[in-house]
This record gives sequence, structure tokens and C-alpha cells, in this order.
Amino acid sequence: MSSNTTIIASIEKASSTIGSVWPIHSFVTANPLSGFEDMPFDEAVRQAADLLGGRGYPRPETFRRALEDGRIDRETLVSELAERGHETDPEAALERMDANVEGETADGDGGVKTPDEPIERVDHVLSKWLSAFLDEDQAAWAMPGREDGFYAAFRGVAGHDGQIPQEGIVTDLPEDPIEAIEAVLEPYPESQWVPIFEEQLAALPGWTGFIKQRAEDGGTWQSRYPITLTGYLAVRLALLDAFDATIDPSTGSDSTGATGSDDLAEAFLAAWERSWRSELLDSVAAESESLSASHSSARPDAQLVFCIDTRSEVIRRHVEAAGDYETHGYAGFFGVPMEYQGYDAEVSVDACPPIVDPKYRITEMPVEDGDRARYDRWRGVREAAGELVETLKTNPATAFGFVENAGSGYGLALTGRTLFPKRLRDLLDTAEDPVPDDHAFCEPLVDHQHTYAGDLPVGLTHDEKVKYAASAVELLGIETFGRLVVFVGHASETANNPHGSSLDCGACAGNPGGPNARVLAAICNDPAVRTTLADRGIDVPEDTVFLAGEHNTTTDEIELFDDAIPESHAEDLAELRGDLATAREHAAAERVASTDSEGAAVSETERRAADWAETRPEWGLAGNAGFVVGPRELTSDLDLDGRAFLHSYDWSTDPDGDALEAILTGPMVVTQWINAQYYFSTVDTAVYGSGSKITHNPVGNIGVYQGNGGDLMSGLPLQSLLASADRPYHQPLRLSTVVHAPVERVTEILADHDAVTQLLDNDWLALSVVDPLDDHQVFHYEGNLAWRTSAEQESVPSQMPDKRAVADD
Amino acid sequence: MTGRTSKPTVGALPGTTADSPVVPVALTWLVWTLFAASVALLAARVRFGISWGVSGLIAVDGLTILLWAVVTFFSGIVHSYSRRYMAGNAHETAFFVAVFGFTAIVMGLVAADHLALFWLLWLAMGLVMAKLIGLLKGWKQARASARVARRYFLASAALLGVALTTLWWATGATTVSGVTAAAEGIAGPMWLVAAGAVVLTAMIQSALVPFHTWLLASMTAPTPASALMHAGFVNAGGILLVRFAPVLTVEPTFMLVVVLAGAVSAILGKFLKAVQSDVKGELACSTVGQMGFMIMQAGLGFFGAAITHLILHGFYKAYHFLSAGERVERTSPGDGETHGLGPVGVAVTLLTGLAGGALFAILTGKGTHLDSGLLLTLIVVVTTLHAARRVVARSSLSATLRYGAIPLVFLPAIAIYALVYSGIAALLSDLPVVTAETELTVVHVVIALGFLLAYVAMETGIVARSRRLYTALLNASQPPTSTLLTARGEYNEQ
Repeated sequence: MSSNTTIIASIEKASSTIGSVWPIHSFVTANPLSGFEDMPFDEAVRQAADLLGGRGYPRPETFRRALEDGRIDRETLVSELAERGHETDPEAALERMDANVEGETADGDGGVKTPDEPIERVDHVLSKWLSAFLDEDQAAWAMPGREDGFYAAFRGVAGHDGQIPQEGIVTDLPEDPIEAIEAVLEPYPESQWVPIFEEQLAALPGWTGFIKQRAEDGGTWQSRYPITLTGYLAVRLALLDAFDATIDPSTGSDSTGATGSDDLAEAFLAAWERSWRSELLDSVAAESESLSASHSSARPDAQLVFCIDTRSEVIRRHVEAAGDYETHGYAGFFGVPMEYQGYDAEVSVDACPPIVDPKYRITEMPVEDGDRARYDRWRGVREAAGELVETLKTNPATAFGFVENAGSGYGLALTGRTLFPKRLRDLLDTAEDPVPDDHAFCEPLVDHQHTYAGDLPVGLTHDEKVKYAASAVELLGIETFGRLVVFVGHASETANNPHGSSLDCGACAGNPGGPNARVLAAICNDPAVRTTLADRGIDVPEDTVFLAGEHNTTTDEIELFDDAIPESHAEDLAELRGDLATAREHAAAERVASTDSEGAAVSETERRAADWAETRPEWGLAGNAGFVVGPRELTSDLDLDGRAFLHSYDWSTDPDGDALEAILTGPMVVTQWINAQYYFSTVDTAVYGSGSKITHNPVGNIGVYQGNGGDLMSGLPLQSLLASADRPYHQPLRLSTVVHAPVERVTEILADHDAVTQLLDNDWLALSVVDPLDDHQVFHYEGNLAWRTSAEQESVPSQMPDKRAVADD
Repeated sequence: MTGRTSKPTVGALPGTTADSPVVPVALTWLVWTLFAASVALLAARVRFGISWGVSGLIAVDGLTILLWAVVTFFSGIVHSYSRRYMAGNAHETAFFVAVFGFTAIVMGLVAADHLALFWLLWLAMGLVMAKLIGLLKGWKQARASARVARRYFLASAALLGVALTTLWWATGATTVSGVTAAAEGIAGPMWLVAAGAVVLTAMIQSALVPFHTWLLASMTAPTPASALMHAGFVNAGGILLVRFAPVLTVEPTFMLVVVLAGAVSAILGKFLKAVQSDVKGELACSTVGQMGFMIMQAGLGFFGAAITHLILHGFYKAYHFLSAGERVERTSPGDGETHGLGPVGVAVTLLTGLAGGALFAILTGKGTHLDSGLLLTLIVVVTTLHAARRVVARSSLSATLRYGAIPLVFLPAIAIYALVYSGIAALLSDLPVVTAETELTVVHVVIALGFLLAYVAMETGIVARSRRLYTALLNASQPPTSTLLTARGEYNEQ
């Protein structure tokens, strides 16, 4: 094998350890340690700590508070500690962990890796050129020569850069980056190449994660200005050479002292998870029992299908309380893997989970000319004004005059936005009233167009439509359709928030879910689709109308896209609207914990949505801890406080387990990503999260810096996770999935899907099954496709040999 | 708690209402009270022309009252904004104390008459700002940034000390008013040391090139503190020049140096800004340019215009800092297309530009004579011209809009500016020197050409293709390595 291919293979291997970082305008909540998911959780966080310097477990004080508040059940904790061979009481264990933390802080900056000076300089030069190269239209002047790719562009400027010592290979960079890498690696044996690459890629993990994602994803910026990890490493190694910094890989682990502490932390974490889970499971098992006794199928006023997002749990409870409504949970992209381009959008977005590739292009087609013309006129003026301000601000000869002429206006805006954010929002709403929304004159182009956009077909064929309609109906397990069936996507509304898209729909890759809802509603209303469905035995009553809506998760308003509703359903719609308004008031009051009149709660959520000074407009998916797969009746009598993802599933209508298989391999994996992102961002807000918003500095339209610059921050901001400096709001627990189905069926599915089983075996999430065919017993997944019941779990706390294998392999 | 459905709760999350400390509430209330009082004073001043002071220590004149109103306004906005923005932060109370302390110091500074008091407050102002930059003291880079800033501020205070001592030595007066009244009499090296030190102090304070590094390394300060820095702190350079104007205007050639120092920063700042890819870095470079322009206005002898500029720029820059988070958008690589103009377009463009200039000249009196004021009028002409050219070239707009928008929007905007300017000039009438326009010289012509050249360079993008220039600009705007968070583990919100 030539050294050329060895280098490429080594880089490929080394790059698996860095987690992808998506551009902030379409924030994807992914596990920052996704590259370590092939090893057990404890081993993964230990290795990641060595490489990246991040914490793997919550701090002892977080555990202490959870124990004091009763969130960690003391008995469970003692048994978890005992299972790991620690016969100590919890307080002593906490003290030992405290002592370890102090030890870490004593020798260095809190166990943080501090690079030496030449490496800091290399990192500085790199972050300078990376931010220049990867900039997406923020700077008025782009870096020259970007078309040739990062390595070539750097070659072009390196000689002019006075910050780089003109020594070593950087003075005469070869044309091929691999040659540069080869030259620097020459003194090292091939066996060290992968560890060298791993360490160098881990040096600026925000930037390298972004490069990795951008190179893998393609996209317009990447195809115009290409960058690869190989090119990046060539530049980095050349710079290390110029600054005379060592690239010797460090030998072995340097955090052996923390292992004892990690073991204790693991026990606390497991106990905390079990405490929460058992409370949930007790209730779910009880409901499962009563569910089989009574099964009513009266026709509800309407069915509303929400995203599995944890925020849906709150609004669903209140919608159900407001009238005779049935609610369901479904992945918020509504099963349609599409790329979406809005009416006046410059770019299209992937409106499906990042683990799914889009298969269709959906665009908005204007169908009503009058509104469209008014909208276009308005948009034209706004764009022209925006561009004008930009150009006046940029030019050296005009910026000063502009500031003087416009200064007074900015003074007024300062006052309004700071002192009267809510009133300003109302005012702007009123001012924009005459301008129609784009969905008032547009319809998504759902029908197949026999054309392609890029390499995607535009629209869906009849068979494809039937497929998505059928799988939705089957997965949801709807038996008696109401007169209205509403698919409700969701989006957030926040101001002055670079992380806004982290609050949008995770199943739509950080985009609003409304368009997907509209597409599925259009498909289900298609008469031809209905006929084919009927042939397949799915009877949708003549008078059932599907419509789409969008849940504003910040204000809890649900907007209904009602353009296609026949006159016959106007009354149903009006009633639904009224009830949704009631549900909104109650949900808002619950979320803002308001004790005032209910109108005040709605008003407060609207203020949060519009206020530029608000760093906590809403809590997003903070608090998420569980994923319940089963009929709504299992949880409808509970208040889960927005902590569980809920996916509708009826085991009795899914004899071959296809629907369950789809849920366990799709939504469950996505929820685990989201959960892991929240977990790691909380336990280490600096290395895995993006720190506090108060010092954020957006860069290049792709991410944020902390302060003056350096590495790109990734992950969630502190204000999405913590109520205040010392009070976590998100509880850092790994996901507990609860499935309502026969346990054999689950075992069979897991046996077929190694990737999912591996996640479970490695303790990245927990899985419990409530088996309706086995006396509604709870089975806990034990690893290697084996289960044990709750009774067994409690009676035999440690070294239990009698794992109950249900699978026949 | 209302809103809860009456269902058993599983694993309820902790409450989110953070307890709000008393200090921020009290200080916010206090600062708005001070604002109200300042506005009342301002009204009284306009109506009755009062001024008062403690002889030899404090002198309250038009400038003082105007700046009281301005600084309490900015501070009030920052206080109110931070009540939500800083909620739950471990340093919340310390932050409010520092911001309020800064406000009080500046209020004292603009009223101070005794040289020693003036100097002490100047020093204190810098130290408090450095504290805000390093507010998150657990964070290594924040401490480093604070150190960088503190070094600059101590240097500026030292230079001011030299200037004040020299002035006191030369005139024997111990007050700002006394020194400036006797300024005409100072001459020779003594005068040069004093005037030079005053200008250098102002340049450091206003972050003019080549003293801009501290400003570019100050983003470890919480966003509202940056807003206050860019809308308040940097302005002190201009205020210093206005206060000591009689010293500077002694020698017209010296004024040309001030003009030059300002113009260089004004143009360079804009070019530095063009290569910034981070929002706050871009805003900081913009401030470098704007402060340069403000100092240039002072150098041209239009001290009232300089004060007007720093107030209006304060609105502008505070707004942009406080809204820095909304500058993230999804884009696609553009082509940067430009459209040509037809004959009608050219005519409309030219006429609008000239009309703008004429209106400006008539309303403000700047540029009606053949003096340094022409330069300021030229800037207005170019701005209006440029705006008109852009809008007229936009084919997506209707003809009425294209030809009508600029006159309709810009001419009133110029009028508003003129109104503000005249108001401020009237308020400042009791200053020893408000306007000291100088004769047109070759330097003015060179600067005018410099602006036109910069305009063309930016419009055509010619310079953007030079790798050497691009790299030089990028490097000139780099914060020191020690202030960059290259190892994320070093970030610490505490």
C-alpha cells in the first residue's frame, strides 16, 4: 500500500472520533461523542476526556442536590453502589467525588488541558484562516482564492502572513496536501499516524467537526469552496512544523486518577435514571392493565397528530382537556423525507432527520395572484432597504453619513425593543397585517413533476404518496377517523437568538415542521390516494378532512393552515380553533408557572418570543429523559412535565412488527441523539456545549465564538440548560425508552439491527418493555438480547446470574 | 400553580423562576431616575439657560447636561436590557454595580473642572471598563483581555497626566476652565507636549489606529457591557478634545494632524471591518472607523459636529451590539451582480446627491463657505449619491419607488440630522470653542481624495483580490493570542 493511501485511510479512521458540527442556522442536536458510540458509555467518556478534555458525568454537587431533592431514590442508589462493589453510604461517596474534583483543580485548571504556547499560536493562525475560508457571506470581503479549496487558498496567503514564522515546509508547500503531510510525518512510524491525526483533529474540535460535516454533506458552499480534513491537516502539520511545535502523540491515558470517581458517578447516574424510570414504568404498567380492559372507539371531534418532541406532551394534555380530542405522536417530519424550498427562500433545506437522506424536492407554488403581488412588492421593498443599509454601512465614504442620518432612528428602536418588547411585537403584527403570509397564496407542489431539482425528483408519484399516507395511518394506529385530522408541525419564535434553530423541530433537522405537515395533509386529501388506501383496507370516511398546522412552541399558539377546508367543515374548524386557544392559555400558564390570570401567561410567552434581551425564550427539549412508544392511553392520565418523547404505537395492529421496527431504528435513534446532546452540553457547557449566551459572538453565519474568537463553539448554550449559574434545569439523564409491545417482538427487531443493539449494549440508553401479553410485566433490557423483570431487578441487586433470555438465539 | 392539569406528575422538573437579587432592580430604578432628572435639567437649561458649579471643582455647562442625559439614557437601556439578559448569571450583581459605577464616574467626569478630579475620574473610568471586560474572572481569556485593556487605559491615563501637569505648569491654573482660558498664552515645546499628549490620550481612548487592539480584544465582556463601551466609553476621546479645544486650536497646523489621525482611522477602520467574519469583530472595526471620523470632525474645527456624531453613533452601535444575536442567516454563495444605470438613473442619482449636499449645507451651515466644512458636505453628497445609485439600480422595484424613495427618505433624514446638530450646537454655545473651521489646505484635498479613492476601491472590490492586502488587514485586526479561546476547556462562565 502506498503511503498516500495509508495517509488517507489513517485520516479517515482518526476522523471518526470527532463529532460533526452543523451550521448554527440549522442546528442539529447530535451526540457530540457519536464517534465513541461503538464502545461502552463509561469507556467512551473516559477516552473522550483524554482526547478533548471534557467531563463525562455531572458534578458531585448536581448529584448531591438530586439526592437531597429526592430525585435520586436513596435505596436505588445504595443498590447501584453495591452492584459496583462500593459498600459506602451515598454521603461518603459524594465526599470522595468532591475530593477527586479538588485534586483535579489543584493540579492545573480544573483538569483542563492547557496547550503550550507554540500550539496556541498555531491554533490562532488556523482559526483565523478557517473563519476566513468558511465564512458564509458575513464578511464584505471574502478570502481570495477560495475557489481552489482550503489548502490551495492557504498556500496562496501563507507567504504574506507575518504571523507565521517563515520556516520549514510552510515556505514551500507542495501542491498536493498529502505530500505536505508525508513530509511532516516522515520521522514517525506508520503506527503512530492515526494517534497523531486523532490528536491534531481534536485540537480545535469545533472547527474540525464543522469541516467534517461540511465535507460529508456537500452543499452549495462546499461545492463552491471545497475543504477537506486532509487539506486541513496538511495546513495544521505545516504550521506545527513552522512554529517548531511537537506532534509526538501523548502516551497513554493521563486521567487515571479520576477513574474511581467515574465509577461512583456512574452509580449515581444509573440510580437517578432508574428512580425516574421506575416512577414512569409503574404508571405505564398500571395503565396498560386498565387499557386492555376497556377499549372504546367512539368518534372524536378531531384527531391531532403532534411531533414526538417533548414539548408536545404539554400542549397535548391541554388540547385533550379542552374537548373531545384524540392526540397522537409521530416524528415531526411526518415520514416524508423531503428537501423543502419556501416561496421566497434563497436556499432549500433538508426537512427530515439527519439520519435520513431527502428523497424529494418540495417547493411552494403560488396559486393566488393578487396576494402574491402584494407580498412580492412588500418583499422587494424590504430587501432593497436591507441591501441599501448594508452597502451604506460598508463603504468607507458613506458609513459616516449613514450613521448620522439614521442614528436617531436607532435611538427609537433601542428604546422600543428594550422597554416595550411586547407592545412592539403587537405593533409590528398589526403593521404587517395587510401583507399576506406566503402560505395564503402558495401550495406545496406535491404532485410528481417529471423534473429534477439537483438530483432529487420534484414531487411525489401516486405510489409514493400512498406509501407515506399508509405508513402514517398504520404507525399511528388510528381506527376511527374524526371529521378533522390535523397534522401539527412545530417551530419556535425567538428574537436575537443565534441558537434559534436548536428550538425548532429536531426531526426536520432544525427547521420548522409546518411544511412537512402541509405535504402529508395534501397527500391524505388526494382522492386518488384515498381510493387506493380503501382498496388496501384503510377506510377513511368520506367526511374526514386532513389539514395542517404549526405549533409555536414559544407561545403555544397553534396556527391552522385552513386554505383547503370545505365549507361543510367550517363549524368544526371554528370549534377547534376556540378549543386550541383555551389549550394554549392553559399550556402557557403551566410553562411560565404563572399564578396570575391566564391572559397574562400568554402575554408573557409572547414577550419572551419577541424580546431581544431574553436569553431563555423557552426551554426547548430541556428535561427530556424518556421515550414512550405506545398508545396515548398509557400516558394520558399522567403529567410528564414535558420530559418524555411520545410516539403513538398500537402493537395489536402491527402483527409483523414493521411499524415498531421503523420506530426503534428511526425516531428512537434520533431521540437518543437529542438526549445525548442535552446530557453532554449540561455536564460540560464549555467542551460539549457552547457556554453562556452573554459572551457569544456569531461568526461567519455558521456558528458562535466565545468572546474574541478561537475555536468554534458547538452544542447548546448554557441558558437552554440551566435556570441560573448553580441551578440546572435540564436533568442530565440518559434516555429511558419504554415500549408497549410483546417482548419477543422487540427482541426479534433488535436481533436484526446491530447498530441499535450496540447502542443499548453500550449503555447509551435504556430500554424497557411493558408486555401486554405477559401480564403487563415490565422487562428491562440487560444487554446481549437478554431481559430481566422489575421484580428480579429489585430482589437481586448484584452479580445476578439468572438473566432471563427471551430470545431464541 | 395554575395551568397544571390535575393529573399525577411524574418526575416534575425544578422551578425556573430564578430569585432576582435586589441590587439590579434598585440600580435600574435609580439610573432611570437620573435620566429623568437630566432631561428636566436639560429642559431648564434650554428654557432658562442656567449653569452652576462648585467653583474650582465642578462646572456644569451645556455639554455636561447634554452628556448626563445621553449617558444615563444609554446606561438605562443597558440596565433594563441586562435585567433579562444577565438573569441567573453568577456575576449579575457585580455587573450591575460596575455598570452603574461607570455611569456615575462618567457623569462626574463631564462635570469635573478641577484637573486632579478630572484625571482621577478618567483613570477610574478605564479601570471599571477593564473590570467589565474581565468580569468572568474564572475564564483565563477574559482575564487576559482585561489585562490588555488595562494596559492601554493606564497608558492613556498616564498621558493625560502628562498633559494636565504640563498645562498646570504652564498656566498655573488648576481647573479645566482656567487652563483653557489661558491656552492662548502657552507656546513652544510646553504647548506641543500638552496638545500632543491630549490627542494621544484621545486616540487610545477612542481606539483609533494604531491603538485599536484593546477594543478588538474586548469581546469577553458581556454583550450589554460592550454596548456601553461602544456607545459611551470610547466617546470620552472626543469629549476630551472638545473640553480642551482651546488648547488644540492654538495652532491650525496641529489641527491638521488631528484631522489626519482621524481620517486614517476612519478609512482604515472601514477596510478592517470589510474582512471580519465575526459579528462583534466587525462592529469593533466599525467603531474604530466611526471614532476616527468623529476625531476628524473635531480636527476640522467642528466640535459640535463631533459631539453630535458620537451621540448618534452611540444609538447606532448600542443597537447593533444588543442585537448581535440576530445576525445569523442562512445564505448561498452569491454572484455579487451589479446593474448599470440608464441616463434617467444617472440624472436622478446625481441630482439627489447634490440636493442632499445642498440641504445639509443650508441647514447646518457646514460647507457654505470655502473652508474645512466642505469636506463634511462632500461626505453627505457621496452617501446620498451612493444610496440613490443602489436603489435606482434595483430593477425589482417599481419606477416610482426607485426614483422617489431616496429623495423621500434621505432628504428628511438629513433634515433630522441638521435639527439634532443645531440643537446640540446651541446647547454647547457656552463652550469656549464650538466651531473653529480652518482654511482649506492641500491636506484637506488629499483627505477628500482619500475618501473618494476608498469609495471606489470598496465599490469595485479591486483591493479584495490582493492576497497581500487581505492578509495585512486580517492580521492588523487580530486580537492577541492570549485572548482567544483556542482550547474550549479553558472557558469558564464563572
